[in-house]
Amino acid sequence: MRIVGLILVVILGSVLFYGSLAFPPWGDPASPASSHLSPYYIEKAMEDTSVPNLVTAVLADYRGYDTMFETIVIFAAGIACIVLLRTFKETESGSRLYRHIPTGITLKIDKKGRFPEDSVVFERIDSHWVPHDLIVKTTCRLIVPFIQIFALYVIAHGHHSPGGGFQGGVILGAAMIIYAIAFNLRSAIRRMSERSAVMLSSLGVFIYAGTGALCMLFGLNYLDYSALAGLLGVDPVTARSHGILIVEIGVGIAVMAVIVTLYYNLASAGRHDEGL
Amino acid sequence: MNIFITLLLICGLIFFTGGTLGILRFPDFYSRLHPAGKLDTFGLVTTVGALALYIAFVQGLFLTALKIGLIIVFVFITSPTATHAIVDAGVRAGLKPWTKPSSGEDQT
Repeated sequence: MRIVGLILVVILGSVLFYGSLAFPPWGDPASPASSHLSPYYIEKAMEDTSVPNLVTAVLADYRGYDTMFETIVIFAAGIACIVLLRTFKETESGSRLYRHIPTGITLKIDKKGRFPEDSVVFERIDSHWVPHDLIVKTTCRLIVPFIQIFALYVIAHGHHSPGGGFQGGVILGAAMIIYAIAFNLRSAIRRMSERSAVMLSSLGVFIYAGTGALCMLFGLNYLDYSALAGLLGVDPVTARSHGILIVEIGVGIAVMAVIVTLYYNLASAGRHDEGL
Repeated sequence: MNIFITLLLICGLIFFTGGTLGILRFPDFYSRLHPAGKLDTFGLVTTVGALALYIAFVQGLFLTALKIGLIIVFVFITSPTATHAIVDAGVRAGLKPWTKPSSGEDQT
């Protein structure tokens, strides 16, 4: 089986290499991309889409298909991580550790005993990593809202400055990971369960693909946002700008949820009980 | 104004030089983290503060200077916390702090 896979990889790789030979040389000024495409983008992007940031205009409007499938690739990565790593078998060892918060004493309770609920008196702690760090927790509490606001700024401001859905989504996911590291995996999962993470990642892809389908419903091509002009109540050029923002929001949601899913599965080896 | 900014920059560079020397020369993990933490906070505050002053008063871009000021604020909060967390991880992992070998013992 492994040899068959290796042969397939070699054949596919050589086909790709053979295909890449037909490309024009890198940076060739006479190639079609440099002589027709780039000048068009540079001259017309502003009047077509009213987006000052050329990269965003090309990424989410002219090459919207490409970006949609990039989002789907990220979604598929999240699903693949769940399929490969997630284990649903109860592999927990017999005992759990609890901290009695008022006194700071750690209790070890066997499976035969009664586990206390998490409350202001008892707090469940991980067996191999026992963070009880007021400084790190307080800083995390202080800094996470600002990280999230900055992420929203990066998503919303992608029209004018470097940024966009992918970057903003990664920052949003990183805020969640910081929370999971400073507290523990269980409290992060309590904030955002595995189910809602997966639902959100598919919701992000759905927003992107649904925007394209909506454009088709209004009688124009797939992902031609100027079709949304009537719905949004603006002129077609501004509608393309707003359409970019809508798909960027979809990308941001998908990327954030996938990052969180990856962290949950990698940090706990798919068991989702005790994190790093 | 320019003189003041240059002085701030030089002050920051002195801090950075001292901190780098400290990271290289100090004997163990914990004492090396001490200059590393100083670098990130105070060296960065002086150099980036000089940058913010330059942008605000020489170039006149107050909004950009405000954003740089926010960077200083957040680094000032997060960098000492990161140093603290690293030291804490070292203690939890059981790393013993370096002590000066006393003259009586043989130095193996």
